[in-house]
Amino acid sequence: MGKKMKIILKCLLFFFMLMTLSGCLSAREINDLEIVVGIGVDKDEEPGKILLTAQVVKDTAGRASENGSEGDGKAFWNVSSRGNSVFDAVRQITYKTGNRLFISHNKAVIFGYDIAAEGLEEYIDYFLRAHEMRPTALILVAEGRASDILNIKPEIEKFPAFNIAKLVDSYVFTSNFYKVNMKEFASCLMSDTSAQMAPLVSIAQDEESNDIYMSGMVVFKRGKMVGKLTHDEVRGLLWVLGKVTSGVIIVPSPNGQGKAVLEIIKAKSKVTPEIKDGKIVIHIKIKEESSLSEQTTTENLADNKALEKIQEALAEAIRREIMLTFDKSRELDADIFGFGEMLHKKYSKEWKYIKDNWDEIYPTLDLIIDVEARIIKTDLLKKPAVPSEGEK
Amino acid sequence: MSIEKGTISSQQLLFLMAGFVQGSVLLIDFTVGITEHQTWMVILAGLAIAAPVVFSYVVLAKRFPGMNLVQINDMVYGRFLGKAISIYYIFFFMMTLSFNIRDVGELYITFLMPDTPFIFLLIVFTATCAYAVTKGIEVLARVSHLFVVTGMLVITSTFTLLTSQMDFSNFLPLFELPFIRMFQGIHIVSAIPFGETVAFLMIMGCLNKTEHAVKSTFFGLLIGAVSLLIVAVRNTAVLGRTQAIWTAPSFQTIRLIDIGTVLTRMDFLIGIAQTILIFLKCSILFYVLAVALSHLLGLKSYLPLVLPIAGIEVIIAATVFQSPVDHAMITQNAGIIYSAPLIFIFPPLSLLIANIRGLPKNGKG
Repeated sequence: MGKKMKIILKCLLFFFMLMTLSGCLSAREINDLEIVVGIGVDKDEEPGKILLTAQVVKDTAGRASENGSEGDGKAFWNVSSRGNSVFDAVRQITYKTGNRLFISHNKAVIFGYDIAAEGLEEYIDYFLRAHEMRPTALILVAEGRASDILNIKPEIEKFPAFNIAKLVDSYVFTSNFYKVNMKEFASCLMSDTSAQMAPLVSIAQDEESNDIYMSGMVVFKRGKMVGKLTHDEVRGLLWVLGKVTSGVIIVPSPNGQGKAVLEIIKAKSKVTPEIKDGKIVIHIKIKEESSLSEQTTTENLADNKALEKIQEALAEAIRREIMLTFDKSRELDADIFGFGEMLHKKYSKEWKYIKDNWDEIYPTLDLIIDVEARIIKTDLLKKPAVPSEGEK
Repeated sequence: MSIEKGTISSQQLLFLMAGFVQGSVLLIDFTVGITEHQTWMVILAGLAIAAPVVFSYVVLAKRFPGMNLVQINDMVYGRFLGKAISIYYIFFFMMTLSFNIRDVGELYITFLMPDTPFIFLLIVFTATCAYAVTKGIEVLARVSHLFVVTGMLVITSTFTLLTSQMDFSNFLPLFELPFIRMFQGIHIVSAIPFGETVAFLMIMGCLNKTEHAVKSTFFGLLIGAVSLLIVAVRNTAVLGRTQAIWTAPSFQTIRLIDIGTVLTRMDFLIGIAQTILIFLKCSILFYVLAVALSHLLGLKSYLPLVLPIAGIEVIIAATVFQSPVDHAMITQNAGIIYSAPLIFIFPPLSLLIANIRGLPKNGKG
């Protein structure tokens, strides 16, 4: 009897476990998820409040396009709510969505211009702390309001947020901005000296179309926006950081009548700070390789002598770009290059003094730039199609 | 005489040891907040300090073959004092076990199952450990092979997947933090992952042959230490300065894996690895606690104690701390102080006394 009883008890236990342990607690089915792909944070008209815009994927998106009849055919829904803090607004959104937002697949967080100007410190915490947020989410600043940026329907991509993520990734072609994720931003925010950067996204308004485009980078100092860098200035920065991947440089051709247009193939940098007689000198060594991609002169540039001259001009152009950026950062008094951290790593004894006086020290830094530029190919042509006068 | 009839080989001891130390991978997060980018040094220093102490455990176990900690204490310190010291040890095992159970609960509730009731997670986990303990040390020793290999695999694969994001200048400047913080960090590391191996004094009695005990203990310790080191280096190189702010730096590190936007969201890897490794550690501690307690109470088998201990452990784990903040504060500051005599003082002292008194005398034990 005892044995039988045991078996029955075991069976009952298994049945009970089957009912209770099947993992349905807190389960969220995919059709109940409000999958967020982008978040925008703006200041509300009401002082002290923020306006949070979440871009939610519509699960009817596929069906709507098949029928071709439903509404505006948008695949996304921009739902927004007001709140006293980011998380407050995230929860208040449930008034409209009926469900909690599901943020795991969030691609980008876009801060409105006014929020950036006021300082991100108050707003960024949630995006680092929330357990569904990923440290790889991109951070951007909108020129204007973030909700407007998220509203513009892209031509090819389905979702504006995906489009923005794609645009940010396109920095590899021009090196005129670069992508910053939450973890990198937090890392810069924690530094005593480094300035933080985030790409700037704007709306290009023409008569017939309004597209969004990447218009440069925003510089933050201690979480507050202090200025903007243009495309050229960002590349000056990336030369030093060694993050230039590609891009176009235009230098005058040796005879001065046209232009040589070069594409960067590869660039490397080596930065060594040095303290010499109480003065801080930063040595920057850059090695660059490029190809001749276009020329607008009849002179044959695919010639050793001409190439040498172009290489010199190229090195000079790169040096100028770096100095342009450095002058700008000096003006903003924001250490966008991270020279402070480099000094920290090398001169830990002097660091305490440097850290406390960095704002005064930074504009007095000396840069010694050494550029080695090489042109390694001329693509498909070895002579221009239009021959020069002398060769005719 | 012995309550546990199972025997383990010295190779199994090696894997048990390695798994036990690896099980503390989650616990180096306590150290990271204090020692930041110098954590790797702290692990090496902690190992250097713990090594001679662990050596004394093995020598002690070899000197009293087939005996466990409670029996050794009785013999070395006499019935009364020996019992008192054993109770102190049992208290230590009990608390360490409940802290580790709580760690698993916190891991799950923060990252994996935020809506599940905390107590439920603790009960399920403890029940699994209790089940493993009823199967005896031999079974644990056999699964330890699999667990250690899986743990190593996860640690090395995540390291490889993250190499592109590593910046080794994050380790500079080498010596920056004040000595007192380093000291605290070294104390934590030498006590928590390495010093807790004092629990093996309850297991080494099961060794079938003791001649390779020293070698396998140290290999095990080394495998564990290398795992900790790889994790610490990976976290520092990838996260840099931010590693001090995350609740669980390892988790954040894994979340950064992004190979061609396809190989992402590898959280499950660390979820699996940490769960099974902590499971091994908790099961060993649970076993040790059950055996020690049954020896103290003079029982014939430890099995009747398993269920009551499980209940007590769940209750301690659920109520002992208010929050992870509390947990970290107590472990960093108080936990390592009360455990220090058990880890660093008693075993070498026992060895010294045994030497002077010429124990164990023939015919005993």
